[in-house]
Amino acid sequence: MFDLAKKAVEIANKRKAEFADIRIIEERRQSLSVKNGEIASLNDLVTLGFGVRVLYRGSWGFASSNLLNSRSIELCTLKAFEIALAGTIINGRPARMAPEPAWQDFWQTPFIKDPFAVSVEDKLALLFKTNAILRKNKKIKSAVCDLNLIREHQWHMTTDGSKIEQVLLSCGAGSSASAISEGEVQIRSYPSTHGGQTLSGGYELIETLDLAGNAERIREEALALLTAPQCPSGKKDLIIGGNQLALQIHESVGHATELDRVLGYEESFAGSSFATTEKLGKFRYGSPLVNLVADATLPGGLATAGYDDDAVKAQRWHIVKNGVLTGYMTNREFAHAIGARRSCGSCRADGFSNIPITRICNLSLMPGDIPYEELIASTKDGILMENNKSWSIDQKRLNFQFGCELGWLVKNGKKTTLVKNPTYQGITPEFWNSCDAISDENSWRLYGVANCGKGQPGQTAMMCHGNSPARFRKVKIGVKDN
Amino acid sequence: MIKTENICERIFALAKGVQTEAFIEHSSGALTRFADNEISQNVYNDISSVSIRFVDAGKTSKVTLNQFDLPAIERAVKSGLETLKWQKKDKNLLPLAGPKQLASSRNVFSKETAELPPLYRAGKINALIKACKKTRQIAFGTLENGLTSYTLANSRGVFARHRESYISYSVTVRDRDGFGWAETPASNSDDIDFEAVNRTARLKAAMSRNPRDIKPGLYPVILEPAAAADLLSYLCVFGFGGQFYNEGSSFVSGNLGKTLLSPRLSIEDNALDGPAPGMPFDFEGQPRSRVLLVEKGTVKAVVHDRKTAAAAKTVSTGHSLPQPNGFTPFPLNISVRTGESSIEEMIKTSQKAVLITQLHYTNLLRPPDVEMTGMTRNGTFLVENGKISKPLKNLRFTQSMVKAFREVEAVGRKAELCQVWGKLSCPAFKLKAFNFSSATKF
Repeated sequence: MFDLAKKAVEIANKRKAEFADIRIIEERRQSLSVKNGEIASLNDLVTLGFGVRVLYRGSWGFASSNLLNSRSIELCTLKAFEIALAGTIINGRPARMAPEPAWQDFWQTPFIKDPFAVSVEDKLALLFKTNAILRKNKKIKSAVCDLNLIREHQWHMTTDGSKIEQVLLSCGAGSSASAISEGEVQIRSYPSTHGGQTLSGGYELIETLDLAGNAERIREEALALLTAPQCPSGKKDLIIGGNQLALQIHESVGHATELDRVLGYEESFAGSSFATTEKLGKFRYGSPLVNLVADATLPGGLATAGYDDDAVKAQRWHIVKNGVLTGYMTNREFAHAIGARRSCGSCRADGFSNIPITRICNLSLMPGDIPYEELIASTKDGILMENNKSWSIDQKRLNFQFGCELGWLVKNGKKTTLVKNPTYQGITPEFWNSCDAISDENSWRLYGVANCGKGQPGQTAMMCHGNSPARFRKVKIGVKDN
Repeated sequence: MIKTENICERIFALAKGVQTEAFIEHSSGALTRFADNEISQNVYNDISSVSIRFVDAGKTSKVTLNQFDLPAIERAVKSGLETLKWQKKDKNLLPLAGPKQLASSRNVFSKETAELPPLYRAGKINALIKACKKTRQIAFGTLENGLTSYTLANSRGVFARHRESYISYSVTVRDRDGFGWAETPASNSDDIDFEAVNRTARLKAAMSRNPRDIKPGLYPVILEPAAAADLLSYLCVFGFGGQFYNEGSSFVSGNLGKTLLSPRLSIEDNALDGPAPGMPFDFEGQPRSRVLLVEKGTVKAVVHDRKTAAAAKTVSTGHSLPQPNGFTPFPLNISVRTGESSIEEMIKTSQKAVLITQLHYTNLLRPPDVEMTGMTRNGTFLVENGKISKPLKNLRFTQSMVKAFREVEAVGRKAELCQVWGKLSCPAFKLKAFNFSSATKF
């Protein structure tokens, strides 16, 4: 593949591009889904293609194609030059790339069991078995079990000398049961909502989830929610963990600290950020307990790789340290905006057909020092929410509202009543500053976000957010103020 | 250019009698993105793929690939057929559909529009940026153009093709602490009034400067077309999708023929000759029907694919998504009937109301009454005594759309084409009551 790739690099060098790269990507995705005892998806997708990025006279051009041969690479590279040149009619600040050593390397996701070597028969058997358990009640109108396996083989070559081959592997699975009765709809999912739990690694991840073993429990919880009381509104202490806290980290810290957003480059679509660069090193993002660490080297992380799509070696760095904003997600183009001499390596593209953009890395809340049981026991009047159901946050990442699948009232240190339709709202820094307890490492887990959308044209990326359950004081629960 | 007929024939021959469907998709498109008064991204893609679905006596599988050489197709067909072996029979699985007469839809293809070069896009953007720089405004947005083409064929004789060009110009302007926005999608560049888009976004941004606080609560709202379209798209998907209807999670379930919405609201799905035209067939090759969803507030029909139609003991309306899938068929080419008002008249006749340009990050909270949340964006104003009195900081709403669109006070006489879940042609609306649950800081 590198023999083909060098065509783009040769043309770019000959035409004196400031920077250029080519990424050739072969991807295999297998998605299996069973809904209500029938196959809802059984698709094996294999794609191959390349994208060429050119920085010429301070202006970017990018072109991609699924036709992989020398002539096609030549045409696409010339197209990228044409596009870059067109951009120079506008007198903007010339783009430039932060320096990075030239890497020549091979990296691959560690795994035990190749997911594509497991038979479709076995995969379907797991999904059908789980689905049958979920449907053992007539009020369950929708039972869905999903399995998604992805392998991406990349060959990345740059004009500054990097030549990197990577094989990234991830696996995910999940199930959900929707109970419907008398105009009420309640859903429970396992282990997470929005397609389940995805991590980097092999099929061994699926085997540890025990989908079938958890099916009866989530079915019964979905049914119980049909008749559960509505979650009360008002200010209460909120305990969240799992994929809800993961999404809270994702939306209110991850996206807020993507440096391209901070600088306004996403304003027209996803929005910008309140966490502007003059706040770096000074702004109290959260209470002193709050430490949020970005880590592209994290085992199991969906953003874990040897290198990002700017050919920057994987790194680990603080975004929030002892409550203070200390870092951003950066790429090589924007790193200089915060005075950095090198990118942190958080630039990725969705497949071969998209240009690399700044992305959230694996971003985790570091564990605190009290056992989870003690966190519950020390809560007088609170609510524990589990599994995200809905999410929304404003265009500067300040005002958010999340809904969860279920809530438990916590009274005098004990989980008491199951409640339905719990939601909470807040303002990002006020919320993180209200964090007064984080459970210890015994309850710290990684949660995958496999469907993060960003950019125009739209791109999807994957990342993880590790956390242990945490408590936030006096949070607005529901939509009323009483 | 790929010869789709040849590829389909080759695939069907390799499948050796197993019912086989081929869906070939080609897209060629370019997008120039600008931010902070300069071009920030400039991309071009030319991509084709084929999805091959097999159905054989209650068993199904699918393979998708983007390489069209014979060995690649042979490997894919072999793999797909192999996968059929590992399944138990599903007695409910439908065989592939046979061919049906397809109506023609409006022409939505312009070669010139599809092939507009990067210099064209840069020139249009440059005009906006120059104007913005003169008034210390900052422009952000995208200008994109291209084409998509679809071929759907199956071994039972279905062969359907559709292609459309597109162009979309979206502008966000920042004016100190004010924001404005305007956007126009079209299938032909002649239908884009670039000057008007620029003017609207710039004016809104200037008007939005120095936004004020307002106490969250219930207010009448005037929704500009883009904001109304965002909300109505959820109402249409979660209300009028055949699967949600069958499962009982839709507000329409068991209520067809009842007046659940305002008599001022009428909605039709019409891919053929409506103001939001598109593909005249669905992803099973079935003809798209015109479906009147709401007539003067009365819910009249939902949309179906063959599977949901069979479960509801009716016929497909031609709204299938690619099969198999776990989601509902839903309306993709929606036309909301216009009324007799204008935004200016809605403002003039309002004692107090909130005027909303655009919504952001909308999401569904509860399906049965389509309760949603989201934020206002890029131009939120307070209307008092028949006039816009001041710009407002953005607000979060938490509101049932069934309730909100039960009390429509006025409908705009001019509709705009909006891109939401599909295409939606929508006028402005004035609603009697809309719940804002919190505010943000800007």
